[in-house]
Amino acid sequence: MNRLKEEIISSFKGAKVSICEDNRLAILARKEDVFSILNFLKDKGYDHLELISCVDWINEKEFELVYILTPYSEKEMKEHIILKTRISREKPEFKTIIPVFENAKPYEREIHELFGINFEGHPRLTHLFLERDYKIPPFRKDFNTREYVKEFFEKIPFVEDKNENGKRA
Amino acid sequence: MKKFPLSKIKMKMERELELYFGPQHIGMVGNFSITLQVEGDKIVKASANPGWLHRGFEKLMEYRTWIQNFPMVCRINVIEPDSMEMVYAMAVEKLAGIEVPERANYIRVIVLELSRLASHLFGCWAYANMLGFDTVAQWAMYHRDLILDLFEELTGARVYHIYIWPGGVRRDLPERFKDKVLNTLHTIGSCIPDYDAAFFNNRLFYKRAKNIGKITKEQAKRLGATGPILRATGLKYDIRKIDPYAMYEKIDFEIPTREDGDAYSRIWVVRDEMIQSVHIIMQCFEKMPEGEVYNKVPNPFKWKIPKGETYVRVESSRGELGLYLVSNGKDKPYRVHFRTPSYPHGLVLLEKLLENASIADVGNIMISLYVVAPEIDR
Repeated sequence: MNRLKEEIISSFKGAKVSICEDNRLAILARKEDVFSILNFLKDKGYDHLELISCVDWINEKEFELVYILTPYSEKEMKEHIILKTRISREKPEFKTIIPVFENAKPYEREIHELFGINFEGHPRLTHLFLERDYKIPPFRKDFNTREYVKEFFEKIPFVEDKNENGKRA
Repeated sequence: MKKFPLSKIKMKMERELELYFGPQHIGMVGNFSITLQVEGDKIVKASANPGWLHRGFEKLMEYRTWIQNFPMVCRINVIEPDSMEMVYAMAVEKLAGIEVPERANYIRVIVLELSRLASHLFGCWAYANMLGFDTVAQWAMYHRDLILDLFEELTGARVYHIYIWPGGVRRDLPERFKDKVLNTLHTIGSCIPDYDAAFFNNRLFYKRAKNIGKITKEQAKRLGATGPILRATGLKYDIRKIDPYAMYEKIDFEIPTREDGDAYSRIWVVRDEMIQSVHIIMQCFEKMPEGEVYNKVPNPFKWKIPKGETYVRVESSRGELGLYLVSNGKDKPYRVHFRTPSYPHGLVLLEKLLENASIADVGNIMISLYVVAPEIDR
C-alpha cells in the first residue's frame, strides 16, 4: 500500500494521497486526473468498482464525487481505495468513466438524476427512479422537502372539495 | 361512408416489437419492470426500469438521528433486513469508535446466518415457484417460516427485527434458545435429501436451468457481479473471508463455488451455502463466551458523532453490501449511500443476459440473478 501511494504521488502531480487506519487509501485528485488514475488503479489490480457516490458540500459550493475500488481477490485483502474529486456546484459537469468500468452506468445515471450532475458521454442519462423533473434535484442539500410537499400535495383537492359542476377544482 | 384509401396508411414493415414486462406481469416477481425489444420470441434488447419502490430512504436518513434511522435501514431489503442493520451499525461504530463485546459479535453472526438461511430459502421458493415446482416451493416457505419463528422469539418481530444495534445487540439470547435453533436446523437439514431429489437433482429442473443466463468469470468481473453469481463462475470472492467482520475470522467454513456460471450452478452455490450457514451457526454456539452483549452508547437524542467518512461492507445473501457514510460532526448523518448487491445485478447484468434470450426465460434469468427490487430503489 505504501508503494502504491508513492507511485501515485510520483505519476500524478497534484493528487493528495493518505493512508487511513482502516486499510483505506484516500486519494483526492484533480478532476482532469480521475480518468487516468482509475485506469492506473485498474491495471494495478483494483478492478472492482464498488460504488460511485456523490456528496453535496453546500458550504464549500462543491460536489464531491467518490469512487470506491477494491480488488477481486480470493485471499484476505482488506484494502480499499476511495478516490475523490471535487467539481463546482455552478457548473456540475464531469466525464463519464464507462470506458474504464462498465458497471458505472447506473451509478452515474442515479447521480445525474438525484444531484443534477451531467456526465458527458453517457449513453443514457434518463430518469432512473423518479417520474418527473425537479427544479432542484432532490438529493441536493438546498432542496427543501417541506416546501416541496406543501407545494405539490396541497394542489390536490380533497374528494369533498368539488365545485358546482361536480368536478374537482 | 367515405372510404378510406388503404394506400394512405403507412405500411411500415417492422419486425421488432416493444414489450413491457412488469411490474404487473405474471412472469415478474417483485416490483420491477423491463422493457423488451423482441423479434418473434427472441429478445433483441432489454432495458430495466427500476423505481417502483423508490422511497428516498437515503435522503430521509439525513433528517433523522443516528438511532432513529434503524427502522428505515432494515426496510431497504425486505427479505434479508439483518445484513442492512449490521452494515449500518458497523459504520456507526467505526465512526464513533465503539467497541462490541465478543458475545454480541457471536450473536450477530448467528442472526446473520439465520437470516441468510431464511433469505436463501425464500430464493429457492421464488425459483421453484417460477418453474412450477410447487411442492418444493411450499417446503421452502415452510422452513423459512420456522426460522422466522425463531426470530420472533429472539427479537419480538418476524421480518424487521431492529436487533443489531451500535455497541452490540439489543438483548441476550432467551433461555434454551440454542436448543430451539438446533432443533429447527435439524428439521431443515433432515429435508436436504428430499430437496435434492425433488429439486436440485431433478432432471426437469436441470434441463430448465442448465446453460440459462450463462456468464464467464471475466464478464462477471467486468459488470460488477458479487455473491453467488460471481462464485458460480469459479471465483472465491466472499467478504466474510476477504474482509472479515464480527467473528468470521475465528470460524471455520468453506466458500462453495461452481465453474459453469449458469442458473443451475447459481442455485447449487446457494444450496451449498445454506449447509455452510448451518455449520457456522453450530460453531458459534460452541465457541460463544458468557458476558455482556451491549456496550452502552450515549443518549441517542444528544449523540453527536465526530467528523469523518467510512466505507464498510458485509456479505449479504445476494453479494457484497456496502455503506458509504459521511458525518459532519452533527447528530444526524450528512450523507448515506448504500451499495446494494442487486443494483449492478439488476441494472447491468440482467440487461446483458437478456440479450438473445427467449421471452420464456426472462423470469427464469431474473430470479436466478436473485434480484430484489426494494434493494435497487432504496
